[in-house]
Amino acid sequence: MASNFWTSTHYKELKDPEEINVVHPLDAQRGISVEDFRLIKLHMSNYISKLAQHIKIRQRVVATAVTYMRRVYTRKSLTEYEPRLVAPTCLYLACKAEESVVHAKILVFYIRKLYADEKFRYEIKDILEMEMKILEALEFYLVVFHPYRSLPEYLQDSGLNDTSMTHLTWGLVNDTYRMDLILTHPPYLITLACIYIASVYKEKDIKTWFEELSVDMNIVKNIAMEILDFYENHRMFTEERVHAAFNKLATSP
Amino acid sequence: MGDGSSTRSNSSNSSTSEKPEWLQQYNLVGKIGEGTYGLVFLARTKTPPKRPIAIKKFKQSKDGDGVSPTAIREIMLLREISHENVVKLVNVHINFADMSLYLAFDYAEYDLYEIIRHHRDKVGHPLNQYTVKSLLWQLLNGLNYLHSNWIIHRDLKPSNILVMGDGEEHGIVKIADFGLARIYQAPLKPLSDNGVVVTIWYRAPELLLGSKHYTSAVDMWAVGCIFAELLTLKPLFQGAEAKSSQNPFQVDQLDKIFKILGHPTVDKWPTLANLPHWQSDLQHIQAHKYDSAGLHNVVHLNMKSPAYDLLSKMLEYDPLKRITAPQALEHEYFRMDPLPGRNAFVASQPMEKNVNYPTRPVDTNTDFEGTTSINPPQAVAAGNVAGGHGMGNRSMPRPMVGHNMQRMQPQGVMAYNFPAQAGMNPSVPMQQRGMAQPHQQQQQQLRRKDPGMGMSGYAPPNKNRRL
Repeated sequence: MASNFWTSTHYKELKDPEEINVVHPLDAQRGISVEDFRLIKLHMSNYISKLAQHIKIRQRVVATAVTYMRRVYTRKSLTEYEPRLVAPTCLYLACKAEESVVHAKILVFYIRKLYADEKFRYEIKDILEMEMKILEALEFYLVVFHPYRSLPEYLQDSGLNDTSMTHLTWGLVNDTYRMDLILTHPPYLITLACIYIASVYKEKDIKTWFEELSVDMNIVKNIAMEILDFYENHRMFTEERVHAAFNKLATSP
Repeated sequence: MGDGSSTRSNSSNSSTSEKPEWLQQYNLVGKIGEGTYGLVFLARTKTPPKRPIAIKKFKQSKDGDGVSPTAIREIMLLREISHENVVKLVNVHINFADMSLYLAFDYAEYDLYEIIRHHRDKVGHPLNQYTVKSLLWQLLNGLNYLHSNWIIHRDLKPSNILVMGDGEEHGIVKIADFGLARIYQAPLKPLSDNGVVVTIWYRAPELLLGSKHYTSAVDMWAVGCIFAELLTLKPLFQGAEAKSSQNPFQVDQLDKIFKILGHPTVDKWPTLANLPHWQSDLQHIQAHKYDSAGLHNVVHLNMKSPAYDLLSKMLEYDPLKRITAPQALEHEYFRMDPLPGRNAFVASQPMEKNVNYPTRPVDTNTDFEGTTSINPPQAVAAGNVAGGHGMGNRSMPRPMVGHNMQRMQPQGVMAYNFPAQAGMNPSVPMQQRGMAQPHQQQQQQLRRKDPGMGMSGYAPPNKNRRL
């Protein structure tokens, strides 16, 4: 399992992109569009990162938490599973799964610090109850493979392992968690897509290296296109739009 | 399975004070074990073939931190692994009423602790060669699977090695209790960081000497200790546990090892010099001088026999030189008569008289909440390191075996798989509380149709679904 992605539940649970961008009927009733859905997940991914920075939690744990959160919303509605509670709870659960346990009271302390709104200042008991519901929603599939793992190896192998390339690709991989890529593609292909973008950006020719990898470059390029599309549209993900999406969620149908 | 769309559970319905719906799919037989994390129950599925199930209940952790990380780790690993010689998790249930988790496993009637004890105290002669070899081979086979998947068990001991009772899987070994197991690829923290590992009798010398970076070799040491115990019916290195501080130096345990194997030397084990306790406690460690390495005398094996050769390779001091699970499976010992078999109790060619082992005692006075009703358990026979289905110490009433409990029936395997059953079945009628009364013996014997059911439906290794 840990060594073999192809026999893992992560692999078995990979989804087609069309399955991911389906708004739950309960959310649709409140007028949530696919775009709103995407925005809310993006916002909550950023929130998890911010929370983790305050508590000083490692990037891999953050990545696992974001993956849990995104997996939850392939099955559950935003209406029934309040994102502002789901997100920190996913971080809490990921800390346990990745063996970097953080106490619920510390998490609650930082939630209060980050969220001014009284309504979303959750208590320990809210986190613990949601933890159970998330475990159930995830069907107890907790092992997540990340693109980070193969990154150093690939960089070394392709001869691009200088500091600036490492920084750039690492940052690109971080940004892939603002999308649903981890739910739709094997992590090593995400890694390769990030290296591909970086190599084009830095004008390094590693075409032959890619050719020798015996991976389908069309898939790698498609993932790269998705990432570039995301950057392209990033300006449009404004606070106002996030607010508007959350306001829809707050209104009864 | 694996379509990811079939979570049928209805959490809002189960948070009432009534018995949760998922529980109604089982008939509780009784309590079979107790440990630090909670209780273990024996139950049967209500739908034919009324398969026996061991249900491990995890209590909410006391420190106000929800599901214990141990439970998370165990579930996380068990959900990924699938092997004939590893215990099978068939279901996980959540009880929202008291925020507890229930893990449902295929029930195994026996464990090596009880089998060894039965031979020592009742039978009066050791296990036959075929049984020892088959148990050991299957244990190594399961371990090879775990190690090749980067999982170290870390707590192998006779009570965690289960053996299936009557039925299709009769005499098959199942490694249990993954509460301490670790994925050892790229850990975020040193593996030694989360405290105590392995009951001291089965603990590898590098751990006893304070090693921070240990490997799957710690499991092989434990297998060596278990092998010797299967041969002699006595724990090989029975040290007295020091319990002073959080992670005390176990000098007596080391002393017991040195007494039999002789002192390790930097010559034979070069990294020994770097181990914390070897440096700081050298005087302690070398307080006694033992000259003769007498392993063959202790286990009564000819030094030239393949069995001795294999055992001594498992008990090699230097973890880098210690035999690995795949190497052990290829050892000459397993290629000579009697050859190991699938049913460790009964060889395909009958040789010696088979031993009938006692079934697991069941305390039928405990319900799923763990509250005991009426008759308290009678005598208590607490095993030092016992605990069926991987629960710490077993403190179970022994004398009940006769009347109050059932022999397990041969069972078929049925579709109680994730995720289709990962939840409750609302159509099952309400069952009364306190279903502790013994069942009638079920006479039907159902044949198992498909041994490959369950979590084994892996995709072919190179399948790329994006293509």
